[in-house]
Amino acid sequence: MGNIDVRVLRDRIENINALPTIPRVLKKLLGVIENPRISLNEISNFISGDPALTTKVLKMVNSPIYGFPGRISSVNQAVILLGLTVVKGLLLGVSVFELMQKTMIGLWEHSLGTAIVSRLIAKRKGLKEPDEISVEGLLHDIGKVLLVLQYPEEYEKAMNDSDKNSCIIYESEKTYFTTTHASVGAWMAQKWRFPRNLIDVIEYHHKPHLSKSAPVDAAIVHLADILVRARGFGFAGDRFLMPVSPEAWGRLALTEPDIKEILMEAEDSFQMTEDLSL
Amino acid sequence: MSKLALDKLELGMKLAKPVTNAGGMVLLGENTELTSELIDRIKNMGIDSVYVQGISKPSVPREVMLSELDERFKMVEKEPHMDFLKKVLVEHIEGLYG
Repeated sequence: MGNIDVRVLRDRIENINALPTIPRVLKKLLGVIENPRISLNEISNFISGDPALTTKVLKMVNSPIYGFPGRISSVNQAVILLGLTVVKGLLLGVSVFELMQKTMIGLWEHSLGTAIVSRLIAKRKGLKEPDEISVEGLLHDIGKVLLVLQYPEEYEKAMNDSDKNSCIIYESEKTYFTTTHASVGAWMAQKWRFPRNLIDVIEYHHKPHLSKSAPVDAAIVHLADILVRARGFGFAGDRFLMPVSPEAWGRLALTEPDIKEILMEAEDSFQMTEDLSL
Repeated sequence: MSKLALDKLELGMKLAKPVTNAGGMVLLGENTELTSELIDRIKNMGIDSVYVQGISKPSVPREVMLSELDERFKMVEKEPHMDFLKKVLVEHIEGLYG
């Protein structure tokens, strides 16, 4: 069954732009994201030129995923406050996951939930860049979107296998694709010239101890992924859990009250994200 | 914070977000405590829900939520720290139902 050549797979994923099912706005957006010389001004104009996109971006930046609930009224202001990297990630999140609502219901909620919990863990650990960790949480499963878009039938089989064999989708993917959504997501993140930390988190969110450039971020998103699944918020492709990496667990050293408070705070934000159903 | 339909509003609840008209003008501010008079006014504002403080109970029954949780943990319960995480999650979910 694992008969898709990984080189062919990578080539098809990297040229996802050529798929007829990709909407025109998203193609334009991918062009913008891939351009390393894009300025804050250009990206702000690009968003403002599309009313639907503007609404989505403003809803997101005013949500509990970021640190300024209800206070940002213009795209310009959002772009300046969040910075280029965070805005690019956010744009990709809102536009790509929209495509998913039909194919994998619940992945958007899973991604939002992971972004929220990642941010809460980062704050509790006193990290300086909680917005960047939010984006890492939001995009950690981007590889699933790419695989479903390019190989919908195989992906459905992999999901059925997970159900039958009581295992997480990460394991079933290997049978059909010889690789996983983590690597697939990281290839694209590289192609999109995302920051090293973001590429690392996408690649290693199932094996955070292997991350070289962002071991703390990877540990945070790994644990957030588990907590969001364990709570039953959203759907990530299977009904099961992966064990927590002991290294990541040790690195974060969260106490029982820490985790309880993080879950409580997250509950509040989960309810607010109902507004973000795209 | 939770989003409530107007027939679920009760005396003494506090608004978590301002109530605005279609133009965005604030009609009732954040933190406003609801009186029966205010609830009646809200019902005549042409909106269908408002945000109140505190967390609403999940729509899924407790038993379903806990049995799904069992199912999710069944393959990993013996792994390090997972029994601890399960205990914390069970307590958290129980707490949501008050």
